[in-house]
Amino acid sequence: MAVTINVNGQSHEVDADPSMPLLWVLRDKIGLTGTKYGCGINQCGACTVHIDGQAVRSCNTPLARAVGQSVVTIEGLSADSSHPVQRAWTELNVAQCGYCQSGQMMAAAALLAQSPNPTDAQIDQAMDNVCRCGTYLRIRSAVHRAAELA
Amino acid sequence: MALMGKLAIRHRPLSVNRRQFVLSTLALGGGLMIGLTPYRESMAATSAKPWEGGEGTEFTAYLSIGPDNIVTVRSTTPDIGNGTFTANPMIISEELPLDWSLVRGEYIPPERDLAEGGKYSTSGYLAYFSGRSTEPEKLHELLQLAASTRERLRQAAAEEWSAAVADVTVEEGRLRHADGRTLTYGEVAEKAATVELAEEPAPKPRADWAVLGKQSRNKLQMPMIMNGSTVYGIDLKLPGMVYAALRQSPVQGGRLKSYDFEAVRGLSGVRGVAVVDPDEPRAGLPEGFRAPFGLTASQNGPQAAIAVIADSYWEAQTALDLMPVEWEAGEGARWTSTQTFYDHLSDRLTNPVDPNIVVAEGDAEAEIGDAADVEAEFLTPYMDHFTMEPLNGTALVEADRLEMWLPTQHTQQALFVGADETGLHPEKVLVNQTWVGTGFGRRVYNDDTRMVVAVAKTMPGVPVKVVWSREESMRQGRYRQVMAGRFTAKLDESGMPKAIKSSIAGAGAGHMGIANSPYRLAVPNWLIQTQNVNSNLLTGPWRGPGWNSNCFMLESFINQCAEKAGIDAIEYRKTLLAEFEDPAWIRLLDLVKEKSGWGTDQGRGIAQGVAIGNWGMGGYSSTAPVGFSGTTVATVVTAEVSRRGDIYIPRVDLAVDLGSLINEDAVRQMLEGGVVMTLGAAMHEEINLNNGRVVEGNLDSYRLARQNDPSLPLEIHVHFEGLSNGERFSEAGEPPMGPPPPALAHAVYKLTGQWLNRMPFGRQNLA
Ligand code: FES
Ligand code: FES
Repeated sequence: MAVTINVNGQSHEVDADPSMPLLWVLRDKIGLTGTKYGCGINQCGACTVHIDGQAVRSCNTPLARAVGQSVVTIEGLSADSSHPVQRAWTELNVAQCGYCQSGQMMAAAALLAQSPNPTDAQIDQAMDNVCRCGTYLRIRSAVHRAAELA
Repeated sequence: MALMGKLAIRHRPLSVNRRQFVLSTLALGGGLMIGLTPYRESMAATSAKPWEGGEGTEFTAYLSIGPDNIVTVRSTTPDIGNGTFTANPMIISEELPLDWSLVRGEYIPPERDLAEGGKYSTSGYLAYFSGRSTEPEKLHELLQLAASTRERLRQAAAEEWSAAVADVTVEEGRLRHADGRTLTYGEVAEKAATVELAEEPAPKPRADWAVLGKQSRNKLQMPMIMNGSTVYGIDLKLPGMVYAALRQSPVQGGRLKSYDFEAVRGLSGVRGVAVVDPDEPRAGLPEGFRAPFGLTASQNGPQAAIAVIADSYWEAQTALDLMPVEWEAGEGARWTSTQTFYDHLSDRLTNPVDPNIVVAEGDAEAEIGDAADVEAEFLTPYMDHFTMEPLNGTALVEADRLEMWLPTQHTQQALFVGADETGLHPEKVLVNQTWVGTGFGRRVYNDDTRMVVAVAKTMPGVPVKVVWSREESMRQGRYRQVMAGRFTAKLDESGMPKAIKSSIAGAGAGHMGIANSPYRLAVPNWLIQTQNVNSNLLTGPWRGPGWNSNCFMLESFINQCAEKAGIDAIEYRKTLLAEFEDPAWIRLLDLVKEKSGWGTDQGRGIAQGVAIGNWGMGGYSSTAPVGFSGTTVATVVTAEVSRRGDIYIPRVDLAVDLGSLINEDAVRQMLEGGVVMTLGAAMHEEINLNNGRVVEGNLDSYRLARQNDPSLPLEIHVHFEGLSNGERFSEAGEPPMGPPPPALAHAVYKLTGQWLNRMPFGRQNLA
């Protein structure tokens, strides 16, 4: 069944089962592979995107839920990596392998949109994405830094 | 179905203008680290698809300069987040100033090494092994290459301007004449490659280094990570590609009994089914060819498996999950529970069967007798690598050619596994290294590559991407080697150990970190014996393999001896180390003591524990301490235990000696990450067995460290003041995996009186 979804400001006509997870629609149908598969069960956050400004885990979000909403992925977070989160992440040299980092940055951007100056406790709560490389401490500092840059 | 003609097959020109420089050996002085210049520009020309070659004049396989002034620096070892792609151009830029926005990383693929007689892998399996980005020989070679290239560029520019070479200087990416004219490197590169120098220049003395150890640089791929454009193996897209979802025998070692593809054939997108039969004979390699890690059943042999192939991964996985499949469990089913296996291990410690006696110095048995002063039994369980990017790979098998795109940790091993699986001559195999979402040793032996090719060869002419679901990745691990150890000791009148017996049993039980411990110099009687005992689970290298268990056991035991003797554990170690030739151990202990505030009042309910160890000392088989080698790490972990028994870690201090640094912040970053990973693993991780199957399949049952984990360290302080700064450029990835867990166990003992001798610590009730 063909549906239209809006991703990063562009309309995409997608021929897919409405129950297909948004993660796989983005990756395999639309070709936006910045959104990652880590667990598929709503646990790791590697697949985090924004739907109408909220951080959502796309592995657990059926395509049907995204119809009529505006979806933003890492590729659309900013045109030129100038979002404060991207700048802070670069400045603090956060990423190691990088695989989890699109999800981390999308989670951080959504957090900052809601709480422009989050406390450590808020960060711990909102940012429970997994990073196997263990970059958590830099992530926490980078969220604070992004808050300053915003 | 894909048509070959549509595929973007890698354009791989062998070099034009390649010349070999005569390398001169440098006499290096002991340079000192001075203040860092932060270098945080994030522009770089590195490709999202690092296997695609750029154009340009090749000076050697390691360096090309393009007409667009892009400087390509190639490496053999994969950059899996450890910074290979960045360290190598930093080395080049020490002699040849580079415009960092025009630097690009690339690989020397293993087929080129094969075609050119193995000249990029003279260091053996390490040449293509990820984890090590800097070897001293490579460092010298790259510095010489850069200096020689610089002089050729200068001379070429001088000829262009009909000027004297002395009037030409180099700056980042350009040549400048004294009168102000400039040319880019790219504009004269082709000419430069034909220049004959009267004499090759000597690289500058180490004391004059301005980049290495002086500057920190972000990874070249950072800008791509920031916008999600980095192509990891799982992100690869090729024209006509199909996707396979894989299931291997849920009991490792079992066989496929039956399946009913008809039940899912009609589902959306489904193309076909592939069966992998481990009993079908494999081709082997032609005479004279050898895979760097060999080809063995347990390391990279085929497993019984079935895969559904479809137009998208999701369709393939959905059909696979719905397809009725039955398995023959085989031998492994006798491991009814993890406890069955642990009991077996413990029994083997009590009743050894033909143990391997690694060290028998003095007579520990007689000295200890039945009256040990200190006694402990340790266990470190199976753990999953949890590669953040699930296992996957893509292969295109044709009649006379195999091409693969892999997030591997060893492309050369992949090449030979691919040849073995297809029966093609190794010279017909091409390997493209993609970006990698963590490795930790899981992707070294290339059992995953074997399965990718085994599935893809059922669809010749079509590129097939094979993906392991997270559950499949976790249940088909090559797990951290489970290890149990019993340590006993007799102390002398001063409280120091005069005899130790270390008995270790486990999967691939080794002696690294114990047999070569410098403590041996102070303990006259020491018996070390190992037994190789495993269940049906396959094991493999897991960041700091073997050592991550041995260091835990030995350092915990030393802490137990010190506590028993009532002696401060740092002073105790200093006494044990007094005769050791390498002063770094004591220097690091003193450093971490001072930095952590050891011995000062930490406040109520807070305590500190200590541990030290060395990764890589003298190589894997060394049974005696070797000074000034490997990476030494000393740590103090500061901990609190809540009334509910939760462990909190306000601070970790780590002092390291890996010799010298290339890219300081990259090393710091990797050490920090290792501390988080090893403490998280020690607290929470364990793979369990149920009738030979792995119980845990995903994050709902397998716990990892997270941002909101109470036991995540709040601060990690890495101290470099104890570096010996010599010729050694040792590793940073594996060393932090050893000492932090025993240091944490020590701190918890001080708070609760309980020793955490068994991982995961989180299972022990401390309330
Ligand atoms: S892949 Fe969606 S939360 Fe892990
Ligand atoms: S940076 Fe590698 S998993 Fe987070």
